[in-house]
Amino acid sequence: MTLRALIADDEPLARRLLREYLLPHADVSVAAEADNGLDAARAITDLKPDLVFLDIQMPRLSGLEVLALTGRRDGVIFTTAYDQHAMQAFELHAVDYLLKPYTQARFDAALARGRRLLGQAAPGLEPLIAPGPVLTRVLVRDGSGAGMQVLAVDAIDYIEAQADQVAFHSVGREHLKTQRISELEAQLDPARFVRVHRSFIINLAALQGLEKTDSDAHVARMKNGKRIPVSRRGYERLRAAL
Amino acid sequence: MHPLLTHWRALAAYLAAWGLAGPALAALLQALDVAPLGRAMPWTIPLCAVLAFVVLAVYHPCRSRPFGGTRWATALGYRAGLVAVLAAALLGAAAGWDAAGSLLGHPGGWVGLTHRGLVLLAAALLGLLTLSVLAHDLLITSQRAHAAAAREAQARLLARDMELQLLRLQIDPHFLFNSLNSISALTSLDPPAARAMAIDLAQFFRQTLALAGRERIRLADELGLVEHYLAIEGQRLGDKLRFAIDAPADTQDALLPPLTLQPLAENALKHGLRPRDDGGLLQLQALVRDGWLHLAVRNPVPATPSDEGGLGHGLRNLRERLAAQYGSRARVHWGATAEGFAVEITLPLEMSEITP
Repeated sequence: MTLRALIADDEPLARRLLREYLLPHADVSVAAEADNGLDAARAITDLKPDLVFLDIQMPRLSGLEVLALTGRRDGVIFTTAYDQHAMQAFELHAVDYLLKPYTQARFDAALARGRRLLGQAAPGLEPLIAPGPVLTRVLVRDGSGAGMQVLAVDAIDYIEAQADQVAFHSVGREHLKTQRISELEAQLDPARFVRVHRSFIINLAALQGLEKTDSDAHVARMKNGKRIPVSRRGYERLRAAL
Repeated sequence: MHPLLTHWRALAAYLAAWGLAGPALAALLQALDVAPLGRAMPWTIPLCAVLAFVVLAVYHPCRSRPFGGTRWATALGYRAGLVAVLAAALLGAAAGWDAAGSLLGHPGGWVGLTHRGLVLLAAALLGLLTLSVLAHDLLITSQRAHAAAAREAQARLLARDMELQLLRLQIDPHFLFNSLNSISALTSLDPPAARAMAIDLAQFFRQTLALAGRERIRLADELGLVEHYLAIEGQRLGDKLRFAIDAPADTQDALLPPLTLQPLAENALKHGLRPRDDGGLLQLQALVRDGWLHLAVRNPVPATPSDEGGLGHGLRNLRERLAAQYGSRARVHWGATAEGFAVEITLPLEMSEITP
């Protein structure tokens, strides 16, 4: 079986070195290279490589942010020159990582370990990636095309559940992500985001006011003019939050 | 030396005041019917001339036994003795010169000092000398306070500069290990480039270490350091980094504090070129004009700027450091431009006298 690998590092020579170290391993092919965190996240989502060689310090998104946003947990081999914070965390949680510069032998050992754990989430990775319980950014697809981008949760007006995915409405545009709305609700700051309906989460900062309908139900009027239905339980949550 | 002697304007004013005091005193004696002006002047003018210098003469004795330096009572006793001896000597000289007047054809002396006159003169001399001692003690105290404050300021400045130097000399581990990783990659890909990069890295650290404790270096040396730094970063960043250094021949020997430009180049890469997908052009310019050295670092910035906190801190540090050395004559400006970001520095031009 051939393994497909992603090499993510912002330095061209560091990527070249990884390719060179991969040469003796004929069953590993390089599926893609990324020179920044966002491209790495896109490649992970689109290509689903078996192995990811991931630098910690990259422009746009750090290696840890890439994992946090893509949800990728298995087949990840970290590389870093010096990042005291990350290294301490790796040591603490027994996560394997390659310290630059590294030898072919050290690389082979990390690759062997990576193979052994293929398809399994690396032990100890979770606490590193989600240090805070509150989500601040999400990786989304553009509603129009397949392009991916990082969206700050502050910029979200409201979130709507659509079949097996959620739609983020932000400054008049729609972005999609495959996730369950209840899962998302648990990750967002409850003081700022309220699940007002089975299918809707709103950002309180984007809320204009509440309106009562003829049938004694409530509707949330957003600053952009959009009206969002509020369920009975949603109304209770909203009143508690306000 | 008495501080008045080094300020010739103040000295001239002081002597002029005593020069007027002679005739004024003579006029007073005439008004009091003690002696006519023509006889009083030959006595008052030499008296005032001698007083002018004797009053200043207490400076050195006062300085040799300052209050706070010896026991308080000793210092006070010393001053009382000094005033008494000087007053007695002056009184003797004044009376003697008055008596000498009779030898020069003015029977009864120039002004004919009576017992009452002698007592009054003694009291006036004691008062004058006491005032002089007090004034000089005040002067000495304020001089010492000033000197202490200046020493303290100087010490603070030195300490901060040392701290800065130390901070700069600490090797940035991220830079070092990534560079070594690049050299490791180059050893098989491009052995001559690996060697060149190893040498650039060695030169960069060696030259940085050589800066310790130096107050000024030539612009040519600072730019040499920057070039080694950019050669290393050029290998690490690949075609993302392009740079242009424009420093005409007449700027090469201009002096500036070490590590003025290199940290700016580092900032430009960290906050400007590195986060950009396509990198960009880093420009360094030096210009000598009208006795000033103008320096500028310009770079493009990413569309969504990264955290600027560290950047502002470094630039404020630079501004403080230059202000500590040049006062208000050094200027540091920074801000967004149409092309990205620019830092501009103006320093008073100092040229190196040693040709390397």
